[in-house]
Amino acid sequence: MHITPMLSKVLEPDSIAVIGASSNREKWGYRILDNILSGGYSGAVYPVNPNEDAVLGLRCYPSVLDIPHRVDLGIIAVPAEIVPAVLKACGRKDARGVVIVSAGFSEVGNRELENKVRDIARDYEMRMIGPNTFGFINTHLNLNASIIPQMPETGGISFVTQSGTFGLALVDWAASQQMGLHLVLGVGNKADVDDSDILAYLSPDRHTKTIMMYIEGIKRGRRFIDVASRIRKPVIALKTGRSRAGSKAALSHTGSLAGTDRIYDGAFKQAGVIRAGTIEELFDSALALSITPPAGCGIGIISNGGGAAILAADLCEDLGLNLPDMSERTVRMLKGVLPAIATPANPLDTAGYASYKMFRDVTDIMLSDPGIHALLVIYVHAEMVDPCLPAEAVIDASERCDKPVLTSWIGGKDIGTAVKLLEENRIPNYPLPERAVVALNNLVRYKRISQKR
Amino acid sequence: MKILTEHESKKLLTEYGIPVTREAVARSREAALMLAREIGFPVAMKIASPDIMHKHAAGCVLLDVGAQDVGAAFDTIIERAKKHAPDARIDGVLVQEMVPRGTEIVIGIKCDSQFGHAVMFGLGGVFVEVLDDVSFRIVPLTKRDAIEMTEEIRGHSILAGCDVGAIVDAILKVSEMAAKENILELDINPLIACERGVVAVDASATIGDPPHNTRRLYVPYR
Repeated sequence: MHITPMLSKVLEPDSIAVIGASSNREKWGYRILDNILSGGYSGAVYPVNPNEDAVLGLRCYPSVLDIPHRVDLGIIAVPAEIVPAVLKACGRKDARGVVIVSAGFSEVGNRELENKVRDIARDYEMRMIGPNTFGFINTHLNLNASIIPQMPETGGISFVTQSGTFGLALVDWAASQQMGLHLVLGVGNKADVDDSDILAYLSPDRHTKTIMMYIEGIKRGRRFIDVASRIRKPVIALKTGRSRAGSKAALSHTGSLAGTDRIYDGAFKQAGVIRAGTIEELFDSALALSITPPAGCGIGIISNGGGAAILAADLCEDLGLNLPDMSERTVRMLKGVLPAIATPANPLDTAGYASYKMFRDVTDIMLSDPGIHALLVIYVHAEMVDPCLPAEAVIDASERCDKPVLTSWIGGKDIGTAVKLLEENRIPNYPLPERAVVALNNLVRYKRISQKR
Repeated sequence: MKILTEHESKKLLTEYGIPVTREAVARSREAALMLAREIGFPVAMKIASPDIMHKHAAGCVLLDVGAQDVGAAFDTIIERAKKHAPDARIDGVLVQEMVPRGTEIVIGIKCDSQFGHAVMFGLGGVFVEVLDDVSFRIVPLTKRDAIEMTEEIRGHSILAGCDVGAIVDAILKVSEMAAKENILELDINPLIACERGVVAVDASATIGDPPHNTRRLYVPYR
C-alpha cells in the first residue's frame, strides 16, 4: 500500500476546487473559500457551484469537470445527498483526494451513504478525509482549508483531532494560545483516511516535530500500534471515554477486568504513544515536546521562592521524577554565587534573589551538573524585580545547552513581557509550576520511549 | 462458543509449552487412588465437569489430600457436585499435584472488538478482581512488552522473589496461543510463580465458533 504519496497531494495540494463555494456568508462553502484566499495560499483555487458565476472575485465553474486545469484536491461542502455525484465528478477529474466537510453520514446513522461515498472514492483511487470534518490547515503552505476562523502560528506540532464541535473549539483555542502548529486536521468520520493513515503520512513529514492527537475511538487498532510504534517523533494523545469497567457478561476475570480504557492504555504503551489525561496536559506537553529535546530522569529545580520550588518538587515525587543530589563541584560553585542564607540543594531556593546575574549563574551551574538532565526554573514575581531580567538569564543560559529547560513565571500582568520573551525564545513557559512538571514528566517519558526504538 | 474444562484448558496450555500441574481425571475411587500414588501425596482433588465453572463455590475443590483420604474425598466431591448442579455432566474427579507455595499471578486473554486479542497480566488468586492490579497488551506481544507488563503493575515488588523470566516466557506463549487459537476469553488463575519456573494451577478457556464465522482479527501492516 502506498498511502503516503497520495495523502501528500491531498494535504499539500498545488490546486484546489471548493465544491459548494458560495457567496452566502452563512455557508461553509463561503467560509472555507474565504479562509483559503485570505490565508495567503499560493496554489490555484477554483470555486465550483452551478448556481453562481463568481464567488469572492473568482470565476465559478458549474462542475469540477469544467475546470480547464488539473485539480489535486476537492473540498466538498454540499448537502450530503449530492456528495456521491460530486465525488464521482472529482474522480473523473482525476483529483488525488477529497475532503468532505458535509455532515449527514454515519454520525446521524446514515452508514449506507457513508459506505457509498467511501466506495466511490476507492473506485477512483482517491483518498478521502471525512465526511463530517472541519477540514485542515497546513500553516507551511499558508493553507487554511477549513472552517476555523484563524490561522495558527507556524510551528512543529501537527494536531489530529476527531471532529465535532469540541474538536473545532480545541483547534481555535490552540491557535489563540500561540501554539506553533504545522498541520491541523479533523479526521471526521474516518470513512477512508483514519488515524493510522495520518500517522504514516506525518512520520516522515519534515515540518512535523510532534504529533498531538485528540481521539474518541480508533478503528483498526492493531494497525495503529504498528504504524505509531515506527514513528521517530513524539506522539501524544488524549483518548476520551475512560470507563474502566469491562463487559458485564464476561466469562472470565480477564473479561471483566478488560475495560476499553485499559486496552487503550496497553495499546498506547505498545505504540509508544504518550497518553495525556487532560486537555491541559496534552497541550502543555506537546508544546514542550515540539521545542525542546527529551529529558533524562534527573530533574533540577530553581526558584527565587522556596514555596513554589517545594510545590514543584512534591509533584515530581508523585510522578516518580528524580531530583538528584548535586555533585560536590556543583555545590561548591553554587556556594560561591548564592547569598549566605541560601542552601545549595536541589530544589534550589535563591532566597528571593532574582537578578540577571543570580539566575544566570545558578542556571549555568545546575545545567553543568552531570546528574541533572533537565531544569525547571520558577520565577515568583516580586514588586521590585523586572521579571524580564531573570527571563533573559534563563534564555542566555539555555542557549548553549542541549538539556531541556522549562520555566514557570508566576505573577499577574506585570510578567506579560517576560512571558512573551520566553515564548519567543522557544522556552516552554507555564503559568503554574505544576503544569511545567507535568510537561517535564512527558519529556522524560518520551526519552524512555525513544530509547526503546 | 465452547467453554473448556480445567483439564481441557490445561491441555491447550501444554501444547504451547506453558507448564501445568501434573494431573488426570479419575472416574472411580480406585482410579483416583492410583493416580494420586503416581503423582505423589498430598494431592489436590477437583470436580471435572463442563457444567461447573465455579468449583470453589460449589465446594468441589479439596486440597492437601493424603493417601488414606483419597477415597472419601472422591465421594465428597461427586456428592457436592450433584447437590450443587443436579443436571451437570460429570467427567470424574481431577487428581492433581499440590504445587509448592509461590506468588499467585493471572495471565488471561480477551478478544476486543477494536484491537483483536489482548493479553492480561497481573496479580492473581481469588482476589484478582479486588486487587485490580493488571496490565494489558495487544497481540502479538514482543518480549519487551511482556517485561513491561511485569514492571508496570502496582504490586510489581511482590514479584521480586519469583522467576520473572519464566513469567515473561509464559506471557509470550499465551500471546502466541491467542494469535493462533480462536480464543474468546482465557484465565490462567492462578499461575504460581516460584523461585524457579511457573506452573498453571487452574485455567479456563472459552473457544469461539468454528473458523467460517470468525473474522480475521489481526492483519499485519505492510
